[in-house]
Amino acid sequence: MDKALWYLLTATRGGENRARLIRELSERPRNANQLADALDVEYKTVRHHLDMLEDHGVVEPGDNDYGKLYFLTDQFEQHREAFEEITEHID
Amino acid sequence: MSTIQFASGIAVVNILLLGLLTTVWVRNYRTFRSSLLLGLVAFGSVMLAENVVAIYFFFSMKMLYSGDPTVQQAVLVLRGLQLVAIAFLTWVTMK
Repeated sequence: MDKALWYLLTATRGGENRARLIRELSERPRNANQLADALDVEYKTVRHHLDMLEDHGVVEPGDNDYGKLYFLTDQFEQHREAFEEITEHID
Repeated sequence: MSTIQFASGIAVVNILLLGLLTTVWVRNYRTFRSSLLLGLVAFGSVMLAENVVAIYFFFSMKMLYSGDPTVQQAVLVLRGLQLVAIAFLTWVTMK
């Protein structure tokens, strides 16, 4: 998981937005629309980031089909220290 | 088109892709300040330089390459394999 976070956040073009997305979800679960507003990016972009993060076990959707809320996984919480280390220089 | 011209063309594509990758890594370094990114930037820069040198050799040492078609093909295969490698790296970096 640590390596996945380094890859997803620092080594890719969308890394910074993904880090901000995780920060948003750390405050409380949100759906893709709310995340798009919070990050000021396109809905499609947020969907792409959520899919990538879900593929790597960082986030998971809740149960409702419409306006699905996204949560950080337990697995991610166990590696939160790595996340904090990676993002310590982001405002 | 000669084999060497084709190889030069591939080197140009490599340079474009490496430029793209290095830009992403420099931008991410400004955000994350991690040594991993410094390493990636150094890697990208040296590969960029390598391709520029390759193009320089293709044009400045035409005589050397044109003498032997086997050498030309070997050079083309090497450029092509590097293109494949860089293309994969670009794919996972742009996701």
